[in-house]
Amino acid sequence: MNDAQTIAVEVIGIEEVTPLIKHFKLAAVAGGSLPVFSGGSHIIVVMQGADRVHKNPYSLLGSPQQLDTYEIGVRRMEESRGGSHFMHDRVVIGSRLEIAHPVNLFGLDKIARKHVLIAGGIGITPILAQLEDLHGGGVPYELHYSVRSAEHAAFLERLRRREGESLHMYYDNEGPMIGFETLLATQPLGTHVYVCGPAGMINHVIATAKACGWPDSHIHWEQFSAPPVGDAFEVFLARSKISVHVPPDQSLLESIEAAGVEVPYLCRGGVCGFCHTRVLELDGDLIHNDHFLSEADKAKVNSIMPCVSRAHCKRLVLDL
Amino acid sequence: MLVTGIKSKPVYAPLQADTRGRYHVMLAMGVGAAPLLRVIAEMQSAAARVLKNTRVLYVPDGGSATPEIERFRAAAVGNAQTFPGTPALLEEFRSTLARSLMGTRLYVAGPESFIGLAMKIALEFNLNKDEIRAEECGTSARRVYCIHCRATTENVRTNIVSCVGCARWLLVRDHYSRRLAAYMGVMVDAEAPGEVPPLKEMFL
Repeated sequence: MNDAQTIAVEVIGIEEVTPLIKHFKLAAVAGGSLPVFSGGSHIIVVMQGADRVHKNPYSLLGSPQQLDTYEIGVRRMEESRGGSHFMHDRVVIGSRLEIAHPVNLFGLDKIARKHVLIAGGIGITPILAQLEDLHGGGVPYELHYSVRSAEHAAFLERLRRREGESLHMYYDNEGPMIGFETLLATQPLGTHVYVCGPAGMINHVIATAKACGWPDSHIHWEQFSAPPVGDAFEVFLARSKISVHVPPDQSLLESIEAAGVEVPYLCRGGVCGFCHTRVLELDGDLIHNDHFLSEADKAKVNSIMPCVSRAHCKRLVLDL
Repeated sequence: MLVTGIKSKPVYAPLQADTRGRYHVMLAMGVGAAPLLRVIAEMQSAAARVLKNTRVLYVPDGGSATPEIERFRAAAVGNAQTFPGTPALLEEFRSTLARSLMGTRLYVAGPESFIGLAMKIALEFNLNKDEIRAEECGTSARRVYCIHCRATTENVRTNIVSCVGCARWLLVRDHYSRRLAAYMGVMVDAEAPGEVPPLKEMFL
C-alpha cells in the first residue's frame, strides 16, 4: 500500500451518535461509486494534521450494497495520538480526506450454519456492515451488543429497527452482563463467533470459546491497536542506509515513512501482518504490541510489526 | 495418463485424541475399529471424563455382532452402536450432527470411500479441518463419479471402469471432489474411440 493508491473523499455528513462517537459519511471527490467491499472491511483514513500525517484504520459500517458513500464511526480516544481528535475537532462537512482501498480482515465465513456476533462499544462498527451482508441470507444469526450505558449505545435505533429479536443488548451500568459461557456452550455445530470490542472482552470470548471446545477456525475477532506511546529510540535501516529517530508519540512505521522509506501495510493496527519486518541487530528489547506474531515468534526476537511495536534499546537495525 | 499427482487427492493421518473437544463422535468401518480403540485408550489415560461424551458408530465387517463393540462398551464409551451397513450408519451420523453442539470433534477410521462419505456429511455441517481427524485403513477401492452421466460407480479397484450409469469406459483420475465424495471418471476413449488401455488392478 502506498499513497498513490488512495482515493480523495469529501465529508458529506457528520452526526454525533454518542458523547464519544461521531459518525462520518464520505463521498468520492471525483463522484461516482466507491470500491466494492464486504462486511467487516476497514479503510485507512489519511489525515493531514498541522505538524504530521495521521493514518488510522476505521471499519466501514454502512451497507456494502450502497457504494455512493462510505460510513465510519470514530470514537474519541482519551489517549489519542492525534488521529481521533483530528476527526472529532478538525473535520467538518466539506473537509477533504484521503482513504486507502478497503481491506477485509474480519469477513464472515461463507458456509457457516449460524453466526454469533459480539460487539463491545465502538466494536459495533464492523459488525454493522456484517449484519448488512447477513440480511436476507437465510442463515440464522444473533447479535450481542454491550455498552457502558444507554447514552453510549451507538446506532441502537438502526439496530432495533433492522435486527428485531436478533438483537440482545447489555448495559454495564445495569446488569446482566453477556453470559459468555452459556452462550458459547450451547451453539449448534457449524456456528462461527465474531467479536470486536475492548481487548479484555476479545480475550475473554476467545478463552471461553476454546474452553467450550471451539476450534480456532470458528473464532473470529478484530481489534486495531493504536500505536502506544513509548520511549524515543534510534533505528538504522540497513538497505536504505539511513538512521531514523522514533519520537515517543510517533510509531516506528510513521517515523520510517516520514524518512521517506515505504513499508507495505494494510491495517496499521497490528492485525494483518503486512508490515512484518526483519530485525537484524538489537542491543535491548523489542516491545511487541501486535496481535499477529505468536508468542513463539516474539521469543525469537528476529522480527517486528512496526505499525504498533517499538523497541527499548540503543541500537536497532531493520532489514529495510 | 492423468491419474497421479493431483493435489485434491485427500491425505489422511493416524488418529490422535483431541481432548480440547467437549464431545467426540467416532465412526469406524471394519478394521477401522483398531484406530478408534487406540484413541479411546489415549483418552482413558489423558482425560477419562470425555469418554462419557463420546459416541461410537460402527459397521463391522460382514455386518454381524463382533467383539469390537464389546470392547468399545468395556472402555466406558458413553454410547456405542453397530450398524448393518454404511447407509444406516451415515443416516444416524447425520442426525447426530444435527443435534451436536460446537465443541464436537469427529474421528473417522476405515476405507477411504467410507471416510469420504462421512466427510461429505461433515462438510454440510461446516466442520472444518481442525474439528476432524481421519485415518485410512482397509481397502482403497474408490467411488468414481462419471462426469458424463453423473452416476457414481462404487468399489472401483481398476484404472478404468465401465460406468454403472452409461457404460462408458471411464479413466479413474486422482481428482477428488469432497462435495461428491468421489474421484472423477472421464471417458477414456473419447478422442480415439475404441482405444481402451488394458485393465489393471490399482486400488486394492
